[in-house]
Amino acid sequence: MTDVTITPLPAAPLHVFEIWSNPSAVAKRFSAAMGYDLPATGRSGGTEALRLIRFEPTVWLVEGDVAPLPAILGDDGAITAIGGGIVRVRLSGADWRSLLMESGVFNAEDPAFAAGCSASTVIDHVNVRLHVVSDDVCDAYVPLSYATALLHFWEEASHGLVPTHR
Amino acid sequence: MTGPSRNAAGATLRFTFDGKTYFARPGDTLAAALLANGVALVGRSFKYHRPRGIMTAGIEEPNALVTVGEGGRREPNTRATDLFVYDGLVARSQNRWPNLSFDLGAVFSLAAPMLPAGFYYKTFFGSAKRWMFYEYFIRKAAGLGNAPTEADPDRFSHRAAFCDVLVVGAGPAGLQAALEHAEAGKRVILAEQDAVLGASLIRDPQELDSAWVEATATRIRAAGGRILTRTTASGYWEHDLVTLTERLAEPGAKPAHGLAQRLWHVRAGQVILATGSIERPIAFAHNDRPGVMLSQAARTYVRRFGVLPGKRVVVATNNDDAYLTAAALRDAGADIVAILDARPDLSAAATAAQAAGHPVLTNAVPLSVDGARHCLTKVTAKVDGQTQSWPADLIAVSGGFTPVVHLHMQAGGTLDWNEAAQAFVPKAARQNVTTIGGAANPQPVHPVVPVGNPKKSFIDFQNDVSLADVDLAWAEGYRSVEHLKRYTTLGMATDQGKLSNMAALGRLAEKQGVSIPEAGLTTFRPPYTPVSMGLIAGASGKNAGAHMRRIALHDVHTQKNPIWQPLGYWFRPRAYPQGQETLAQAALREARAVRTGVGMTDVSTLAKFEVSGPDAAAFLDIICATTVSKLAVGRGRYTFMLREDGIVFDDGTVWRLAEDRFLLTSSTGGADRMATHISYVRQYLCPQLRVSAVTVQEHYAGIAIAGPKAKAAMDALIGADAPRHMSTLPATIAGIPVLVLAASYSGERAFEVYVEASHAAPVWAACEAEVTAQGGCLYGLEAMEFLRIEKGHVVVGGEVDGRMTPADLALDKMLNKAGGYIGATGLSRPALSEPGRRQFVGLEAIEGTIPEGAMLVSAEGQSPQGHVSAAAFRIMDGGSIALAQLTDGFSRYGEELIASSPTRGQKARVRVVHPHFYDAAGERYRD
Repeated sequence: MTDVTITPLPAAPLHVFEIWSNPSAVAKRFSAAMGYDLPATGRSGGTEALRLIRFEPTVWLVEGDVAPLPAILGDDGAITAIGGGIVRVRLSGADWRSLLMESGVFNAEDPAFAAGCSASTVIDHVNVRLHVVSDDVCDAYVPLSYATALLHFWEEASHGLVPTHR
Repeated sequence: MTGPSRNAAGATLRFTFDGKTYFARPGDTLAAALLANGVALVGRSFKYHRPRGIMTAGIEEPNALVTVGEGGRREPNTRATDLFVYDGLVARSQNRWPNLSFDLGAVFSLAAPMLPAGFYYKTFFGSAKRWMFYEYFIRKAAGLGNAPTEADPDRFSHRAAFCDVLVVGAGPAGLQAALEHAEAGKRVILAEQDAVLGASLIRDPQELDSAWVEATATRIRAAGGRILTRTTASGYWEHDLVTLTERLAEPGAKPAHGLAQRLWHVRAGQVILATGSIERPIAFAHNDRPGVMLSQAARTYVRRFGVLPGKRVVVATNNDDAYLTAAALRDAGADIVAILDARPDLSAAATAAQAAGHPVLTNAVPLSVDGARHCLTKVTAKVDGQTQSWPADLIAVSGGFTPVVHLHMQAGGTLDWNEAAQAFVPKAARQNVTTIGGAANPQPVHPVVPVGNPKKSFIDFQNDVSLADVDLAWAEGYRSVEHLKRYTTLGMATDQGKLSNMAALGRLAEKQGVSIPEAGLTTFRPPYTPVSMGLIAGASGKNAGAHMRRIALHDVHTQKNPIWQPLGYWFRPRAYPQGQETLAQAALREARAVRTGVGMTDVSTLAKFEVSGPDAAAFLDIICATTVSKLAVGRGRYTFMLREDGIVFDDGTVWRLAEDRFLLTSSTGGADRMATHISYVRQYLCPQLRVSAVTVQEHYAGIAIAGPKAKAAMDALIGADAPRHMSTLPATIAGIPVLVLAASYSGERAFEVYVEASHAAPVWAACEAEVTAQGGCLYGLEAMEFLRIEKGHVVVGGEVDGRMTPADLALDKMLNKAGGYIGATGLSRPALSEPGRRQFVGLEAIEGTIPEGAMLVSAEGQSPQGHVSAAAFRIMDGGSIALAQLTDGFSRYGEELIASSPTRGQKARVRVVHPHFYDAAGERYRD
């Protein structure tokens, strides 16, 4: 019996936070204003109100209230809303790593891919962003147009999974 | 034919073969179970329908191919030696009629002298039509199993895995290697194609028994290693990526959880191949009959399955290993009537066998066998040049060992010739792969020169290729081993020459007067053993390999019961028929509603990019071939984009939402290509620009409202004056913020409403209510196509086909005169402005209906001068019209041509006209 639950989450504001100049200065302004650092590549960070997930060298996916961010960016970057096109899916249970190996190309079974880590990958031909919330929870950000199909794929794949260790 | 360790009480699994019920023991292969039940005739050969039995005990089996399962689970060409019996198994023999024992196709065996290698090429020539006639009968007569006609009800999965060390093969070498690496802290995967571990130890447990195998496996697992049984390493790809095919259910069986097979994509830090070797047969006359079996296979049936495959046995060998078989068979109760050893002198093993009472003959090579369809009766050999015969029902042969080097070679490796073993062994590796065990160190053997009738001495059992066929190919000039393979079909089909290739190479080398390595090798290609098409497709097999992309309002449209249209990966409504309307009737009604009143449609799939930053305008002046930076805030314009060679590759609209923020739209089908282009320009060509370009294709759902009453509808929806043509306005509909763009694709006054996709449903509902109130209706892609063709708007993938310049499409007047855009330099190439280019024109029918895709000719039989890219009817007046590309088209208005479509058998007389059939001045856009 595999232990993974697939739960679509309610729609939430999601934005792209991009820096095009003076990254060090922006990082300092961010730390000063928010009280924590911008997460590094492959990492996520923030608070319950504002989570930032770094996916590219100069790009973060931001979940939550972005009101403070334009002032921090100034003329060094931009915020763009993208939430309408993304469905958040929570994968919970001990076997979420095994589920992500199905039709995947990314080593979700690597223990180093732990809470606070993020990744962009392809699962069953769909581009998906991942954020590890805890040992037993991983949030996936799925394109709206593929969400129905990928949820169905995950539901099917969750039957007969190969446990990470056997 | 029950062996000493086998009794009837243990046979608890019921199965059928050709409709007859038998019983098997758990762990039996079908081959073992058939032998245990006295069934020796299992199949018929591909070409001559010769009776065939069971030759091997593994995946190399060329003869015992059966069809198993029923309905969609039916699996043809399954090796009886690689199929474990389950309760209820249904197996059928193949390529025979009316039954296996009495097969009318066997008449081809009598005609064999007239059907040598390459007889197709010598016999069935002439016109293609005649070949179509021949082909029907050839296909009826030849072949293996038939593919199922029903859909497979089971699922197939692809799974990724990563490890430090992948070990292929769980024989003694593989188990030991896996254990050492696992206990050294490495992440290990051990793959074994059999259902149980041990490989050769199952057959020869003298030194390391099953307890050692079990203990080793336990230690590997305890150290974190993963052991996969029924899993074959089928392909070795770049960067040490190895694909493993795992059977979760036996062929034809209903799988637990519905999952039949899994394809592992293993990325390994290091690969260790402990793949062992495959025993080779010996060529002699009628060496394909039931009762001819490889030596190690005979030993396997005795030791692993407790089945004695023959009572009076001749053993023929050129090595010491076969003496183990003789001992095993004798221990099981068989009478060893002769051991034919091709070597001139007695080896130590032979001497020991002789001392144990076996009749060992040196300089002895099998000449022929005799028998009936179901069994062997006599073995004849040349012994020191003299012919001798023995009554026997089994000949166990061992012609040496071929190391399994397939994966090593698929990984790009090279081979070395081992003279002592008469075999190729791995030499240089091109990836991080090592070969160990029997695959690296095959046993020494003595070369055997066949002495039997070459016409009946088979080397490729699956394709009925004899030594005479190789000789014939040589005589007819086929010198390369690759040509030999293709001419004779040797080494093809499901076994891919695992038993035959070395024998063929030996014969070819003999003919060439060179050594075997000098004769060359064919290519080792994946897969190592056959892989189901369903497994290759994986989970996507059920949806043609790709997920359907759903628009945000998919469910809303579904309630309207539209005709759906695949458009790239998307599904979009093509039309909304009412009552008994056909597609054409519905589309025409919808298009007329737009021309006379108002209609609305879903345009969510358009590519959309939000471009922001102080340098956003400068960036778009590079991306777009038209001027963007001069747009006022709140205004938009049509634009198009060029490749670096100056060819148009996409088009759309660009809108200035704020001083430093733009919305760029482009075609649905080109969305991914445009995203890549924008990213390339942003990151490589213009990294210095202070700009962010984000795809918002899915963030916004889009609703288009078009028609003479569109403005009234929009005024009512937003409670304000709708924006004028090519202007934009933020507004609210149904309490939800929207962006209204006044743009027209239909040729009428029109608006596009963009709303965050997750809030699109109430906005759509409000728009639909208002459009209905205005007397309008929904329209789909088909009506949209009618409207745009009549208006003369180009579409990417149709008129914009990767060959047209802006001038060819009459768009050159819109080019940014300041230059600086991508493609500006490419456009200056003289060839792009020379006469003779295809140009964008309209066509109207003088007689007949213009077929889409038709070629344009001046007269019948002349060379095409262009083609029809899109065809439709005038929406209000009728009459066939089309858009086309025509050589020097702009100078040919008024000329009459023929639009001819030979593939559809249609043609029409047409007149070349301006492509804008409707409101060429654009007056209907404006209030």
